[in-house]
Amino acid sequence: MQDASPGRFVLRVAAWLPLAFLVWYLAGPVLAWPIALLTEGVTRLAFSDLIQGVEQQGHLLTIVSTLKPTLATTEQNATGVISVEVNTLLYSFGLPMLAALVLAAREPHPLRTLLLGYAVLAPLVAWGLVAEFLKRVVFDTAPSVAAQTGFGPLQREAIAFAYQFGALILPTVAPAVFWVLTHRRFVEGFRVRNGAGKAS
Amino acid sequence: MVRFFLGFLVLQALLFGAELTPWAQRWFVVPWTDTLAAISAGIVKVFDPGVMADGKVLQSGSNGFAVSIEAGCNGVEATIVLVAAILAFPAHWKRKLVGLTIGIVAVQGLNIIRVISLFYLGQWSFDAFDFAHQYVWQALIMLDVLIVWLLWVRTLPRAMPAPAAA
Repeated sequence: MQDASPGRFVLRVAAWLPLAFLVWYLAGPVLAWPIALLTEGVTRLAFSDLIQGVEQQGHLLTIVSTLKPTLATTEQNATGVISVEVNTLLYSFGLPMLAALVLAAREPHPLRTLLLGYAVLAPLVAWGLVAEFLKRVVFDTAPSVAAQTGFGPLQREAIAFAYQFGALILPTVAPAVFWVLTHRRFVEGFRVRNGAGKAS
Repeated sequence: MVRFFLGFLVLQALLFGAELTPWAQRWFVVPWTDTLAAISAGIVKVFDPGVMADGKVLQSGSNGFAVSIEAGCNGVEATIVLVAAILAFPAHWKRKLVGLTIGIVAVQGLNIIRVISLFYLGQWSFDAFDFAHQYVWQALIMLDVLIVWLLWVRTLPRAMPAPAAA
């Protein structure tokens, strides 16, 4: 196997990236649909007492909770429930990055790899969305609303960590890890053989 | 490869967990973010003297526009990923040290370009700033980490296959 040329590979990634971002942005609502289903499934399974449903509008999801808003200035019960709007694009911007990497590597079956990548990354996007929903109802609402969730101090810490990890690490690291795992031969091709010159 | 990935994930989780502790925030993340703002202001001042840095905020003296460098934009997480990837990969410690030194400079160098570009993009169009800030630059920084790691891996020797018997 010939060594890959890093310069050409980087140029190909840079060439594919704008197109990949454009397609990802335009296809946002379609890509968000399975993620919305996953998010609803996960929240209904794990937090059934907190969730009424998940509604999709384009690339935005509205997670409707069972939590009731309370007013500190009156004893009258407020009507309605708390809804949290989350943006699927905020957690899925690694998809165009993955697409550019896959297409630039020119390995066989890129479409199959991309579909597999989406299947692997979609649950991680759902992780980010659920963690943001939990973080917002626990930390960004009035104490009287947050108290309705019933989360203890340890659970609140876990939610904070899950949110930070889901927002800062997973969206970019997961696609990179997936790409390296599915392009191990390509990555090996970057390494120069001991005693041999660099091949182009 | 499996060993590398397990090591990478464990190291990354440990470093990221450590980064979130109040101690690390106070003694490392906040001072680093302030330094990043100061370096960015220092570079920008060469051609735009009205720009100033106040803590983690980079502000224009002419129109008052300011950007605050928050978690995720200070390059700390990207650096953590690079450090975990280099430390977990099987290589001599000397090569790891060289890779870490050059790699961290490369990642933080691009991050300074990110901060400065967003600072000017925001003054031109907030929509463009939003898109670049939330999606494009996040991906570019991680691509930088991946490419730096690939280039470092390229410098590592690998055993030649045994010559076939004549």
